[in-house]
Amino acid sequence: MKMRFLCGLMLVIALTALAFAQGVTAPALLKPPADAWLTYHGDYSGRRHSTLSQITQENVTQLRQVWRFQVGQQSIKGTPILVDGVIYVTTPDNLWAIDARTARELWHYTHPRNNAFHIGHRGVAVYKDLVYLTTPDAHLIAFNAKDGKIRWDVTIADSRRGYWSTNAPLVVGNHVMVGVSGDFDNLPGQLKSIDADTGKTQWIFYSTPPPGISEPASGGATGGQMWMTGTYDPELNLVYVGTGNPTPVLNGPVRPGDNPWTCSIVALNPDTGKLVWGFQVSPHDTHDWDAAEVPVLVDGDFNGTPRKMLMQASRNGYFFVLDRTNGKNLLTKPFAAVNWAKEIDKDGRPIPDPAKEPSRDGVLVAPDESGGTNYRSPSYDPTTGLFIVSAHDAYGIYFFKPEHGNYGWAGADYGVGGRGFLRALDYKTGSLVWEHPIGNGPGSAGVLTTSTGLAFTGDIPGNLMALRTSDGKTLWHAPIGRVGNAPITYQLDGKQFLVVGAGNSLYAYALP
Amino acid sequence: MRMRVRINVSISNLHREFARMLRDIAFSLRFQTVLLRMKRTIGIAATALLGLSCLVAAQGRGGQAPSPASQRPPQTATPQTFSPEEIRAGQARFSSQCGFCHGRDAAGGETGPDLTRSDIVAADLRGDKISPIVRNGRPEKGMPGFDLSAADLGAIVAFIHDQKAKADTLGGGRRSVDVSDLQTGNAEEGRKYFGGDGKCSTCHSATGDLAGIGNRFQGLALLQRMLNPGGSGRPAPVPPRVLVTLPSGEKIVGPLVSRDEFSITITDAQDARRTWQVGQAEWTIYDPLSQHFDLLGKYTDKDMHNVFAYLQSLR
Repeated sequence: MKMRFLCGLMLVIALTALAFAQGVTAPALLKPPADAWLTYHGDYSGRRHSTLSQITQENVTQLRQVWRFQVGQQSIKGTPILVDGVIYVTTPDNLWAIDARTARELWHYTHPRNNAFHIGHRGVAVYKDLVYLTTPDAHLIAFNAKDGKIRWDVTIADSRRGYWSTNAPLVVGNHVMVGVSGDFDNLPGQLKSIDADTGKTQWIFYSTPPPGISEPASGGATGGQMWMTGTYDPELNLVYVGTGNPTPVLNGPVRPGDNPWTCSIVALNPDTGKLVWGFQVSPHDTHDWDAAEVPVLVDGDFNGTPRKMLMQASRNGYFFVLDRTNGKNLLTKPFAAVNWAKEIDKDGRPIPDPAKEPSRDGVLVAPDESGGTNYRSPSYDPTTGLFIVSAHDAYGIYFFKPEHGNYGWAGADYGVGGRGFLRALDYKTGSLVWEHPIGNGPGSAGVLTTSTGLAFTGDIPGNLMALRTSDGKTLWHAPIGRVGNAPITYQLDGKQFLVVGAGNSLYAYALP
Repeated sequence: MRMRVRINVSISNLHREFARMLRDIAFSLRFQTVLLRMKRTIGIAATALLGLSCLVAAQGRGGQAPSPASQRPPQTATPQTFSPEEIRAGQARFSSQCGFCHGRDAAGGETGPDLTRSDIVAADLRGDKISPIVRNGRPEKGMPGFDLSAADLGAIVAFIHDQKAKADTLGGGRRSVDVSDLQTGNAEEGRKYFGGDGKCSTCHSATGDLAGIGNRFQGLALLQRMLNPGGSGRPAPVPPRVLVTLPSGEKIVGPLVSRDEFSITITDAQDARRTWQVGQAEWTIYDPLSQHFDLLGKYTDKDMHNVFAYLQSLR
C-alpha cells in the first residue's frame, strides 16, 4: 500500500515535470484550454470564436482596462499568444514575453538590424517549451519560452532577393509551417515546413514554379506568397492556406492564363507538403488581391446536407464556401463592391473581365488594391451561423503600359475612395444580414465573437467596440486607437480577459 | 426642418454672402434642391458664386497642386551631393523602413507616392523638408512617424535625392501616369454625360465652378479630383458642414473636423473647435461631395474618360 502510494506519487511528480518541460502539447493545440490562446487564430479552425461566457451583453459596459503594455513606436498588427500565464507579443524585429497578470516584461528579444521590409508582424507560434518567431529578414528563430534563450535560428528565404516575413507560423504535430512575402520582385511563392525540434527543413510547397523548373501551366507567373497563417483539419489531416497574388503584379499580358496556384486556397498534407486540392478564387489576378485571408473551417448544414466546409471572404470582394474534403465550390457571392468579374464559371470561380485589366488610360475597379477585405481576421459565430467580416467598398484606378516593365509591381494604381463596414453574412446564402459602418477607408481590426452573443472589433476612427452579434448594435466602446487585428480572450485565475493590440500598445480588459 | 434660402447678392462681397448663405441653408435639404432654389432666385450669379467660393476655399487651403506623377518632375531647387557610402546606407534603411509604401526605388509603392516626383523632395536641402516629415509622419495621409537616428535619417535623405537625380536623367518615373496616357476620351460625349446620365450639372457648371478647371488640374490629378475630390487622403476642397442642435434649441453650424459613431467635432463660427458626444446634441452632416463616391459604382470606363476629356477642355 505504502509502496503503491510512493510509486503513484513519483509518477505524479514525473508527469508534472514532463508537463512543465513539454509546455504546449499537441493535444492542447487540438483542444486549447480556457486559460490560454495558443495559436494565431485561437484554435485550428480559424473561427475566432470563444465559448467563454463571463462577459455578456448585459455586463459588457462594465469592462475596465486592467493593464496596458506599450511596445514602442511600431504598431501591433498581430495576435498575442498566451501560454502558462505568459503573453508573447511582437512587432517587426521584436518579441516580448510579458507576465499576463501584471503586464511586466519577463524578457525581450531584439533582432539584429536588417534591411528587409518592416511592414508588420502577426505574432509567434508555441509548441512544447519553444516559441517560434519569424523575422523581417526571413529567419525562423526558436526561443526557450522560459528565458528567451535562442535554441536555434534558421534562414527560411533569402531576404536579399526580396523575401521578407511577417508570418505567425502554424504548428501541426512536429511541423512548423512558415510563409514569406515578396511582392516587389518576381519570386516563387513558398511555404516551408520546419522540424519543430531541430529547425531542419522538412518540405517546401511552391505555389508557383521554383527557380529552374519550367511549368507551362503557370504562364510564367511568379508570386503566390503564403504570408498568412493557415488552418488545419485534424480528421482530414489537411492544412489550408491562402496564396497571394502573382507577380509581376499589374502586368497581366506577360503571364497569360490562370497563373495557378496564385490567389488560391490550397489544401496540403502537413506530413509531405503535397497539394491535395486547390481552388483559385482569382484566376489571372492583375489587382494585387491576395487570397491570403483566413480559410475558416466550419462543420454544418449546407442545403440540407451536413458538410465539412471552408469559408473565405477574399480580398477580391467575393465570399466563398467550399467543401473542404475536396475543394468543390458550394457558394460564391460578393460581400463588398465588385465590378471586375464578367461571370462566375461552372466551378464557382469569378472570371476576370479583360476590360478591367490595368490599362494605359486607366480603368476604374472595385475593390481597390487594399481589397474587399484583407488580413484582418473574420469570425464565425456558430449560434447565429453568421460570418462576420470587416469589408471595404472601394474603388481604385489601375494603370499598366509596357514602359512599366515586367518586374515587381509593373504598373501604377491609385485608391479613389472607400467606405468600411463590418458585415454579417448568412453562410448558407452569402446574403447580408446586417452591416455596421466603421468609417471611411479600409478597417484594420479583425473580429472576435463569443458564445454570449458579443462581437469585439474596432472602427477606423480608433474605437474598440463590442457589438451584439445578432444585429450589429454597439453595446460598448473604448477610444484606444486603431485596433491592429482581432482581439483575443481567455480566462485566467477564474476571470475572463479581453486582450487587444491598438496602435503601439497591448490592452487588457476585464470586469471589475 | 426646412428653412428658406435667403440670399441678398452684393457683387462686391460675393464670398462673404456665400458664407452667410451656407450658414443659413437648411441642411436637411438635398444639395440639388438648394441649388435649384438658388438658380430660381438668382440664376447664374449663384453658380458663379459657388464657383468662386470653391476656388477661394481651395486657395484658402493652400490650393491643390496637380499630382507630380502627371507632370514633368519638379526641378531640384538646390543641387546637392552625397557620398556613395551615405547613399548605400540610405538605400538599405529606405528599403526596410520606407520601401513598402514608397517602393524600394522611392518611385512609389502600395500606398505611398513617388518621391522622385515630389515637390517636397525637389525643395528639400539636405533633409530640411524631408526630415520633419519622416520624424513626425503625416497622420492625415496615413504615414506614421519614424524614430530614426540622425545618421539614418541623413542617409535616407541622401538616397531619396540620389534616386530623384537618377529618375530625372531617365525621364519619367517607372510607375508614372503621363497626361498623354489619358487622351482616349471624347469631350463631346463627356459633355453629354455631364448634363445627362452623370447628373454632374445638378451641382456643377462649366461656366461656374468648373470654368478653367483644365488649367488648374491636369492629367492624373484632374482624374482623381474628378472621381472623388476628397478621396484617399486628399483633403476635400469643401469640407462637409454640420448643423448641431443643442437641447436648448440653439443651432451651431460649422465645418466637420472629425466624427465617429459616438461623437462629432466641428469648428464653430468663431473658428473654435467643439466636440459633442451622442446624447449631448443632435447633428446633421451635409456632405454634397459624397455624391462623387456614389457615382463611382455607376461610371463605365468610357464615361470616366469622356468626362475627363470634357473637363480637360474647360480652359
